[in-house]
Amino acid sequence: MKKGLLFLFVALLLLVTACGGNDQDERTDANDNQDQSSENESNENDSEDGDQVSIRVAWWGNQERHDMTLEAIMLFEELHPNILVQPEYTGWDGYWERLNTQAAGRNLPDVIAMDNSYLNEYNSNDLLVDLAPLIADGTINLDDVEDVYQEINHDGDRVLAVASGANALALVYNAELLDEYGYDLEPGFTYEDLYELNLDIKNQMEANGEEYFGYDFANAEYELFFNYVRQHDMSFYNEDGSSLGFEEHVLVDYFDWVVRMVESGAAPSHDLMMSYIEGGNSMVQEGTSAMQTAASNQIIGIAQGTDFELDLTVLPVLDGTHANYIRPSMSFSVTQHSEQQEAAAKFIDFITNNLEANEILQAERGVPISSAVRDHLSDKVSETVEKTFDYLEVVAQYTKEADPLSPPGETEVRGAFGRTIEVLKYGRISPEEAASDFMQQAENILN
Amino acid sequence: MAKIKTPINFSLGSTSKRDNVAGYLSISPWLIGFILLIVGPMVASFYLSFTNYNLLSSPTWVGLDNYRNLFSDDRFLKSLEVTFKFVFISVPLKLIFALALAMLFNTGRRGSSLFSAIYYIPSIIGGSVAVAVVWRQLFGRQGAITQLLSMLNITDTNLIGNPDTALSVLILLVVWQFGSPMIIFLAGLRQVPQELYEAASVDGAGKVRQFCNVTLPMLTPVIFFNLVMQTIGSFMTFTQSYLITGGGPLDETLFYAVYLYEVAFEYLRMGYASAMAWVLLVIIAFITLLFFLTSKYWVFYQSEGGR
Repeated sequence: MKKGLLFLFVALLLLVTACGGNDQDERTDANDNQDQSSENESNENDSEDGDQVSIRVAWWGNQERHDMTLEAIMLFEELHPNILVQPEYTGWDGYWERLNTQAAGRNLPDVIAMDNSYLNEYNSNDLLVDLAPLIADGTINLDDVEDVYQEINHDGDRVLAVASGANALALVYNAELLDEYGYDLEPGFTYEDLYELNLDIKNQMEANGEEYFGYDFANAEYELFFNYVRQHDMSFYNEDGSSLGFEEHVLVDYFDWVVRMVESGAAPSHDLMMSYIEGGNSMVQEGTSAMQTAASNQIIGIAQGTDFELDLTVLPVLDGTHANYIRPSMSFSVTQHSEQQEAAAKFIDFITNNLEANEILQAERGVPISSAVRDHLSDKVSETVEKTFDYLEVVAQYTKEADPLSPPGETEVRGAFGRTIEVLKYGRISPEEAASDFMQQAENILN
Repeated sequence: MAKIKTPINFSLGSTSKRDNVAGYLSISPWLIGFILLIVGPMVASFYLSFTNYNLLSSPTWVGLDNYRNLFSDDRFLKSLEVTFKFVFISVPLKLIFALALAMLFNTGRRGSSLFSAIYYIPSIIGGSVAVAVVWRQLFGRQGAITQLLSMLNITDTNLIGNPDTALSVLILLVVWQFGSPMIIFLAGLRQVPQELYEAASVDGAGKVRQFCNVTLPMLTPVIFFNLVMQTIGSFMTFTQSYLITGGGPLDETLFYAVYLYEVAFEYLRMGYASAMAWVLLVIIAFITLLFFLTSKYWVFYQSEGGR
């Protein structure tokens, strides 16, 4: 019975998605019939020949993003009455598992939300449509988009995706808490400063009988190290992604700092950190931490769970060097399995350029890549969202050129890094051993 | 132990042929499902276990590499260790617990059938996602049990976040689902002829002696059945670890099935994962075979006159 449990599972999934496909077709037909009658009067927007088409759009996110995206989709369907959009949304967990299974069943949605870390993998398996012709003929209008936002999505002349928001790694901090203890985080603070500042706040707060856990790594040690390597003028992966691109002593130094943070109490223990993440909470929200690592758009979600005033600042400096980079992210791609590539492209154009849609979406995926949209939104977004706009302007002064896309094995390397960090934070291994362990594992994965 | 007892006997005489057709027709829903959803995927997974396959592009043949690599994979060995530890602790505990409660409910006191129904509930709901989530809450950092233990000054660590205790919490959870072996034990106990107890007590045997010399021997077929089923089930444990600890901390609860899932669906190494599935099949088959081979030394079948 045990045997093909895995494949039984795959087969079931395929079956389920296949059945799902049928349902959707039926639904489409039903809707088509209804729509067709009303369409005759009202369909002036579309130059199409009136054929009803339906596209499936998949993305990941939290409930808030789902609600906003669904609302935007309703607007899209109003503007394009001949296109029916079938949303498929989940949380980040499970999103790629779902897509991978659909890819194996040659049943990917027409439009999928793409992450930079998967772009290479999907491209190398020939699953993505080249959007360049659709951009050239204006179906996707990128006239208002600066090149810097799209560079990462190019593979030679091919365009694999269109970003929907720009982000950068940041520190989200509790401005009230820092203020109370007389600190600020103007760019220029160091890793050492973070250590001392957190210890100091901890000592003061604990003297008052309050809980303070310190700097919340928020399970983003990998991302932080990615930046740390760049501050040494190296890169995590070498040019062609066949190996690591940094020297071991850099990793030892970083591990050393992480261990000192955790052991002194300037940062929470690993299990404490994980229990917050699993519970969907954050220490910064509840005031038991003054700061955490996060992508800049994450402040929007974090701010919703707290009355504290939060803000964004740059990552710590190392020997005078900043090396952050702006990541166009939350991209949308059209897949090879799509039979409605033009309709799919229209959807991407809509997300990129439609002012009303972006008002609905509230720049929650990151700062919009179209300058026209950014201008339009500047006085229509919440204070928190505005902070992400401001942050990207600030961080632009502290960036250097982005690394090439990470190689297909990144997910696994990231997993190995996470496990190494875990062992390290539990104090089971020295930074030197941890570094050499990890480097060996990573080389094995990449080769 | 799987029910692969389909009578395949095509060399039948004339009379029963029609009966056979009718028979096969009636089991055809199951048979078709079995072939499409179990045999088919099994054959596919056997082939894939000799390939590199990432779901997204076609498989490439690598021969025995996947199997060879397994044994130099530290995490694979760790998952084996964790799984064996889990099986060999949780199965005996669960059976002892189930038997003890079955004995308690077999006394025929008023309400005992109500209680046995109540105690059966955890095994209906125990494997579910909802219970796993509740369990995670209870034992989590601010969970009721964590708070209680710290109030009693026993410990103030988060038990599922501590590499030394996380596995024990999961063992506790599955032992708590003792309902189905308990019901089977209960049925077994009711089968024990009353006259054996009467004869034993006439001979002056006390309760303990009666248990050791009457109850246990008469129950061995049921114990055997429960042992085999529970062992197989435990090797496949997935939900509890995946949802409560995610295999952590420090891989201390990295069950075989959890690692297999991680390799397959997070790292997309389907070939390697298939090889793992087949190795697990071999392990389970071997252990089951061992149980069967030893059974003739300790399992007592009354119908066979005790052999």
